[in-house]
Amino acid sequence: MDEDVAEYTLNQAAGKDKPILVEVKLESSRKNEISIKSGQVHNVSASTDAGMYVRVVMKEGIGFASANRIAKTTGSSLARTACRLAKAGRRKERVRLSSEKTATAKWTVKQRSRLRDVSNDDRLRYLKSLDSEVMSTGVKVYGRYFELADSETESYFASSEGARVRSMVPRLRMACLNTVSSGGETEQSIREWGATGGWERSDEWNAGPALAEEMKVLKNLIDNGKAVKPGEYDLVCGSEVAGIAAHESCGHPMEADRILGREMSQAGKSFVSPSMLGEMIGSEHATVIDDPTVPGSYGYYEYDDEGVKAKPRFLYKKGSINEFLHNRETAGKLRVNSNASSRSSVYEKEPIVRMANTFVAPGDLGEDEIVKSVKDGVFMKSFTEWNIDDKRYNQKYVSREAYFIRNGEIAGPARGCVLEITTPRFWKSLDGVSKKVEFTAAECGKGDPIQGIAVHTGGPLLRLKEVRLR
Amino acid sequence: MSRLKEVAAELVETARDEGAKEAIAEVFDSTVGQIRYSNSMIDSSNQWHSVHAHVFVAVEGRTMASDIRDLRNGADKVREVVSLARASPINKDYGGIASGAFKYRRCRVDKRIAMIRNPAKFVLDAINGAISGGAQDVGGTFFVRDSKWGIASSKGAFAEDGNASMDLSVRAFTQPEASGQAVLVTANVDKMKARETGIRAAERAVAAKDAVSGEEGRFDLVMEPLFLGGVVGATAAMASGLSVELGMSMFKNRIGKRIASEEMTLIDDPIMKSMSRRMFDHEGKPCRKNTVIKNGVLKTYLHNTSTAKHFKTRSTASTGPLIATDFSMPSEPMMFHPVLETGDQNVEELIGDVRNGLYVNNTWYTRFQNYSTGDFSTIPRDAILRIRKGEVVGSVKNIRVSDNLMQFWKSVDALSKSPEEIYWWDEAAPPAHLPAARVRNMRITRSS
Repeated sequence: MDEDVAEYTLNQAAGKDKPILVEVKLESSRKNEISIKSGQVHNVSASTDAGMYVRVVMKEGIGFASANRIAKTTGSSLARTACRLAKAGRRKERVRLSSEKTATAKWTVKQRSRLRDVSNDDRLRYLKSLDSEVMSTGVKVYGRYFELADSETESYFASSEGARVRSMVPRLRMACLNTVSSGGETEQSIREWGATGGWERSDEWNAGPALAEEMKVLKNLIDNGKAVKPGEYDLVCGSEVAGIAAHESCGHPMEADRILGREMSQAGKSFVSPSMLGEMIGSEHATVIDDPTVPGSYGYYEYDDEGVKAKPRFLYKKGSINEFLHNRETAGKLRVNSNASSRSSVYEKEPIVRMANTFVAPGDLGEDEIVKSVKDGVFMKSFTEWNIDDKRYNQKYVSREAYFIRNGEIAGPARGCVLEITTPRFWKSLDGVSKKVEFTAAECGKGDPIQGIAVHTGGPLLRLKEVRLR
Repeated sequence: MSRLKEVAAELVETARDEGAKEAIAEVFDSTVGQIRYSNSMIDSSNQWHSVHAHVFVAVEGRTMASDIRDLRNGADKVREVVSLARASPINKDYGGIASGAFKYRRCRVDKRIAMIRNPAKFVLDAINGAISGGAQDVGGTFFVRDSKWGIASSKGAFAEDGNASMDLSVRAFTQPEASGQAVLVTANVDKMKARETGIRAAERAVAAKDAVSGEEGRFDLVMEPLFLGGVVGATAAMASGLSVELGMSMFKNRIGKRIASEEMTLIDDPIMKSMSRRMFDHEGKPCRKNTVIKNGVLKTYLHNTSTAKHFKTRSTASTGPLIATDFSMPSEPMMFHPVLETGDQNVEELIGDVRNGLYVNNTWYTRFQNYSTGDFSTIPRDAILRIRKGEVVGSVKNIRVSDNLMQFWKSVDALSKSPEEIYWWDEAAPPAHLPAARVRNMRITRSS
């Protein structure tokens, strides 16, 4: 990638109106996608892209301009546009950025089996093997849609403060949709696996056996599942449910841009305010971490899109509101340091505050201990419908796979179990956590235009005492 | 750059020279400007410019699509795409592309939109309007969009189109938990009433003050077009033939059957003047009005050439982008511009005939337990006003609509006279012309 273009563009922007900061990012990528439907090829695509953005911070505002070309002439034009847009902000309150260590770094996610060397026949064989596993169960499944996307993205980030960060990230994702039918009723499974790394990651997922098992589980659910009688029960949440709760009712409300109102007309504000740092939101078992540095994770990065070195962020710590997710703008406003949460999904989108891999920290109980401790309850292993309000206070999770627990034993399947609960009630009900954390891949949507960004969500088993289910 | 359709034709020609039996090239040139604002202040001003081409080729039963981002080497890239297609597995699902001696309508674009030099003025007008209406805190976005696209195919498509539009979103707060949202979407610069949009958002925020927690139970809902936009978007996605095939639709095996109340007629009208107006789909087939639901009866699914073949019918000229987006699969049939036919009441009359209900301004996070049954929930946001005996008597918060989408449409009993073009973020999407609606006896739930 042409570093000269970045240097030239920085000089073009920095020389004009004495901006507080200029950032230039060059990015090139290649991406392959293949999908199958009912065992047949549905779509095959392959694209390459290269482009750049210029982001200019002035006292009057922030300007951002991008184009799908990397060249000095393009950089010069983008620099002019970004400076003009920044000045047009007419802010009464001067933009204040946190002061951060200037990074010079190069980081690469290693691949044992390079994605660029994988043929479409290999990709197809992989998807067809998953479809075959699903079909081998004998369960009636229709839809049967599987898609695989892999990409390699190189970028070069340069700032007027001297940061220079070069990176290369390979990323792999498989998503699928299966509808199980039995006796005229249906249940649906929408699943996703994702990782940074090479083709070897697809083996590590073990997705085929997991999907085959799920088809059988959903058929059993249709044939034998019973509704939960509305009432208060102890609830054991599987890692998938723990992960979505960590993401939706901890990660999002702890994003400082949301707390400060910047997402107010789209994703919303937050029930959390800056003055709530240190307040209790949950029990002593409620520790939620967002960590971009989990090796191989879908949301992995070493430096964020402002050149700040990534590290784990302890959002809720032993039940207290501990640390917000910050970029340099929000950190500057609250007079703390950035914790490297600035990400953009592609060079065409402005970097904003994002999560990476958000999970509930492990506890000290065995999984058996958790189940055995419940006299009358439900184990919600996974979820289907979910949502949460725009202040991140009222959330709902409906079970996909769930079981009754009676006298410490897993009993029959529970169908369509609904947990509708406030954020403090969820985290204050948490009274036991198992030792082993598992992750699920997801695309988190935020920003305007929307930016779907790779994240992992996860956790161990959680035991919630006496929550209302129906 | 020379005319876009000619660039597209050159790409198609190259593909054919390389041995592609069928090819489509669609060339885009777009500039989008955006201002984001919050806390009654501009946060950032953004501009994106891109020129690129979507190319689709079919070679001996094998297909390949690509987004060619660097058109300086367009011909070389097309050769690569054809070569990749040859090395790809056979696609038995492929049913061909639209074919014919197509005739295209022409449509005028408001060229003044692309010439706007001071978009911040509209934002400041919206903020000032909202504050004058009682808001304490205002945020939102303002977009100016200017796009041109040209298409060519090996089966007769050869056309050029473009659109320019402006969309303003205003969320006003009068208290930390009292807000109102209003949008204005237009392809005519004279109709951008930013200050009035701010005032409308503030009016709702004022009405939403001092909200109490809502009750669970069954309530009639009077929905603004903005709220309805989220529900129509979810419904429109289910009308796609591909969604039906994949089990992502409650409309399977329901053509010719009653799936909504008689009041409901849902049309996809891509050719009316709107933010999402287009004269041809992404296979180059001229767009047309498609009546999907007529007086409550499902009339058709939406099709591209491949799904039409699967369902043994004809394409409805509804092919979506050839490359996957955040919200669509490649070539997925889609509604470009849903239009819900209007009724004969005004909003006051809709409210006046409600004994026990809610007036809802906006919604988000519409999600399904099972797409094939339509069991879903959605979270009302911004002004949620309590209606008793035909009167608004206060405001509520912290509720959720948890019901079934088919039941929802069967329970619509009245629509307002005046439609509004709406589009907000990716929740009230795609852009649509919708009236206000009243739906009876919906299930409301809340957190414990």
